[in-house]
Amino acid sequence: MATTTAQLVITSTDLLSDSLSLSAIATLTNAGSATGMTQTTGLARKKTESTSLYILYDQSALAVPAASAHKIYIKNLSTTAAEYVTITVNAEEVGRLYAGDWCFFPWSAHDASNDISITPSVSSALTIEHMLFFES
Amino acid sequence: MATTTATITLSSADIQSDVLALTKQATLHKGGTTTGLNQTTGLQKTIFTATTNIVLFDSTVLGIGGASKVYIANKSTDPSEFVTITINAQIVGRLYAGDWMFTPWSQSDAAGNIELQPSTVSSLPVEYMMIHNGITQTSA
Repeated sequence: MATTTAQLVITSTDLLSDSLSLSAIATLTNAGSATGMTQTTGLARKKTESTSLYILYDQSALAVPAASAHKIYIKNLSTTAAEYVTITVNAEEVGRLYAGDWCFFPWSAHDASNDISITPSVSSALTIEHMLFFES
Repeated sequence: MATTTATITLSSADIQSDVLALTKQATLHKGGTTTGLNQTTGLQKTIFTATTNIVLFDSTVLGIGGASKVYIANKSTDPSEFVTITINAQIVGRLYAGDWMFTPWSQSDAAGNIELQPSTVSSLPVEYMMIHNGITQTSA
């Protein structure tokens, strides 16, 4: 078993009148257990050059188990503030990841249509990094 | 304008033969700009005692087409306890005990609520916060 941690720190001194300094640390484990997740796609980089939909994680192709505790990391490496990628789960829009933004979220991979996809806002080159942690 | 940053660190010495030590920081901006997001729900905590699916963030109330950031953490310590996160009935994933998520949320339409369903009726604590650029003000 592997030990993998994901830490989030959100800070701000001026969003509220009280300073914000939130920290959360998760140890990535298999669903319903304390056993560490052992598999990953590794950190990948993808350059897009169209506004078409790109499937990042294909539930069928990966054949990962359903209703699990998989985790996904995506970062938009663009430095142009207006450029974003729209993240969808089975065609349902989650949100827009603008330049410099990253996200980290669970993926249940509960059926064949439950793919994770991105749609870039521009047809010029836009690069993202992404990584999947999964259980078998 | 406020300056708020979100930093992620992914670490592992043994999930692969190369050590994983990734740290990335994002400054939270209004969509398509370099102006900082300046409003927040604040950090909220609810202890759920039913397996009912509930609306955590209502897209209509919060303004369709936003560029919000959402944080949700399952604060249970029982590994078998989870909450299922959905957007417009589409399951995104399960947050097991100790797990957290941080995602953008564009509130794409009136049905695009972020919803949460606990797996247990025993007391399950969840923390959540949204950082955003304004909500829809409705008359009383």
